Amino acid sequence: MAIGLASSSQPGTGFGEEEFNQWALELFALQFAANPVYRRFCSARGVTPAGVEDWRQIPAISVSAFKEGDLTSLPEAVRARVFHSSGTTGQRHSRHFHDANSLAVYEASLQGWFAPHLLPEGATASARMGMLALTPTPEAAPHSSLVHMLATLGQGGGAEFLGEAGGENGWSLDGAKVLAAVEARAVAGPVMLLGTAFNFVHWLDFLTERGVRLELPAGSRIMETGGYKGRSRIVPKEELHDWMTQRLGVGPQWIIREYGMSELSSQGYDGVAGRAQSRGRQFAFPPWARVQVVSPETGREVAEGETGLLRIYDLANLRSVMAVQTEDLGVRRGGEFELLGRAELAEPRGCSLQSA
Amino acid sequence: MELPNYFLADLPPEATFSPAMIEEACRTLKRNREQYLAIRSTPALIRLLADTADNWLQPDYPFRQIALEQGPKATGFAPATLAAGLDGFFREITGDKLQALITQDLGMGLRLDGPVATAAEQKAQRAAMASGPEFIFHIAAGRIPNPTFLSIMLGILTRSAQFIKCPSGAAFLPRLFAHSLYDTDHKLGACLEVAEWRGGNTALENVLFQESDCVTATGSDETLAELRRRVPARSRLLTYGHKVSFGYVTAAAAAGNGARKVAAAAAADVVAWDQLGCLSPHVLYVESGAGSGGEYFAELLAKELERRERTEPRGTLPTETAAVIANRRAFYEVRAAHSPDTRHWCSENSTAWTVVYEAEPRFQLSCLHRFIYVKPVRDLADALQNADAVRGSVSTVGLAATEEEATPLVAQLGRWGVTRVCPLGKMQQPPLAWRHDGRPALADLVTWTDWEQ
Repeated sequence: MAIGLASSSQPGTGFGEEEFNQWALELFALQFAANPVYRRFCSARGVTPAGVEDWRQIPAISVSAFKEGDLTSLPEAVRARVFHSSGTTGQRHSRHFHDANSLAVYEASLQGWFAPHLLPEGATASARMGMLALTPTPEAAPHSSLVHMLATLGQGGGAEFLGEAGGENGWSLDGAKVLAAVEARAVAGPVMLLGTAFNFVHWLDFLTERGVRLELPAGSRIMETGGYKGRSRIVPKEELHDWMTQRLGVGPQWIIREYGMSELSSQGYDGVAGRAQSRGRQFAFPPWARVQVVSPETGREVAEGETGLLRIYDLANLRSVMAVQTEDLGVRRGGEFELLGRAELAEPRGCSLQSA
Repeated sequence: MELPNYFLADLPPEATFSPAMIEEACRTLKRNREQYLAIRSTPALIRLLADTADNWLQPDYPFRQIALEQGPKATGFAPATLAAGLDGFFREITGDKLQALITQDLGMGLRLDGPVATAAEQKAQRAAMASGPEFIFHIAAGRIPNPTFLSIMLGILTRSAQFIKCPSGAAFLPRLFAHSLYDTDHKLGACLEVAEWRGGNTALENVLFQESDCVTATGSDETLAELRRRVPARSRLLTYGHKVSFGYVTAAAAAGNGARKVAAAAAADVVAWDQLGCLSPHVLYVESGAGSGGEYFAELLAKELERRERTEPRGTLPTETAAVIANRRAFYEVRAAHSPDTRHWCSENSTAWTVVYEAEPRFQLSCLHRFIYVKPVRDLADALQNADAVRGSVSTVGLAATEEEATPLVAQLGRWGVTRVCPLGKMQQPPLAWRHDGRPALADLVTWTDWEQ
């Protein structure tokens, strides 16, 4: 599979509707041919590349399929890396396989969209930025696509990993150690803190218990990515961001959320550091990806402003499947979306047990 | 017809209650009970309940009309589902059946009226009377109104003042029923109060715990454990925990021409109240004597559900709930594409109904709203072994079996802990005298006075 995606992808160029469609159809044909799990899925729906003219007709496979079989076109021998979904103990994990080539595409994709959102000042400013990840190191969490992403971002910039991998899927951190590292880096100028929502809850809990309040240098910023998966109490987004502002001195326009998952190779961001709105933020994916918000009832795209399930077409998902049906709900806003989160039964269930 | 502002649940949603208001309401209820209800006779109360139930079955009864007109918006059930559910319940409420319930639970029809003796008691020179609580606080749950209706009726038979707390957003039907009782007999209605709030409002609930001598509660294990800590020891606490149900179809019952009939019965259980009650099946276990029996049955069931959808459509769902169904379907679509051990049938362009056939026999909780699993098993022992995770939490088993097969199967189910076995197709229609979760509902309310002559 010869793919020149990485080299030709400058954000915002080369992926107009027509080009995107061409790339998508070509990639679909390749994946249909080389990924037997996906091919069987498409065949069961009666869809083959010959019958598809528009990328929207490409069958999107559920993220849960990454847990079921080996959803990849890579033969076992060349699977150099595998990323797992995070999840609570006892659940099956997603598996997203990579070889050197597809990993390079993943890295190019994540760099290409991260930079304009978290480092809009350009290369010089970013070289000076102290990047501190609250996650464990790549060595301690080799199967985390997020940690791999943070390690990739850090190359050259000197990212420091401050968290620890404790237990099977428990990421933890030593609050005092993180505090010391952040304070040390902040002496030299603005810092960027990166981590999952629960990483931040753990650390903010520590700071709050000790009554510590930091005033990070102007231009300091935070990249927070959602998901709790039972690893801390759930703090509503607004509350978490207020808490960050209060304890770290980082204003809301400097707090950016990332939407990503191990099953994807591109990410969405809900603003640009320093310029982000304080309310009604929407996530945008890079030009080499498309988002659809589809009705759970009909599977068709919902109207503008309506709620549905997010479906992502990600050209950077080279060796797995480009068209991924997520289990997350969002509100359609143009080509972007407001994130509502994972669909779960919230209504009163009477005397019936919650679904497993 | 406009409902008068009579109950707390009639107040606009923004109305808030204070503990003092609740206390005042309790006092009034008790005073009214003393004046109007304590003095009534059982035959008079039975007549009144049976008449009210009969009214509910009449197409032009104003309360029924309101239920069917406003119910879909207020409850999420389609009119046909509501009508079928209400009819199934109220048809059971006749004078004879109420009488039979009292006799079953208390031994004699007039136990609640004064000391009386059965023949055996007479012989032993004994008599006995049963008295109900002065004040019952019901903590209702869920969206199916029948258990709440029944609780109210039992409380009327025991001449108790009653305060019914519904979960927030779920008071519509209990409130209508209370209005219908008030309409039939104002004085009786004056002994009832209906309110709704989100559970866990300790300030209000503590007042009610103090005022009541009996509390009935339906809810999750955590909710019930919390209530056990909060309800004073002098008060009787009757709890109904989380329950699940399943169907069991024997090979003989589903053989030949029988299969279609059994599938229709199973569909009725999935359709009733959109499968949202603890008596609704999550799984149908099908004995697969010869090969693909289960799969064939699943296909028949899908056809039935498709047919029923045309006349009794499932209620509309909030997007979040539909998304849960869509996610689960997407998961099984992947599985079905890869293994003949899984198949699925889905309504087109909607989440209205879903049948998942899985060779894997482990009990699986459904996401309900007409989403049913069909799983093949060798025999009942196989099914029970695979349902071990929910043992102790199973209410009803809907059984399709031949006459010869039934008795030993029921014995096996009973020993395993199932509290109710009924024909498949009747799971959501327990008879009036059924023992809710294995307990006699009326007998649990009363206190006996024994008289040794």
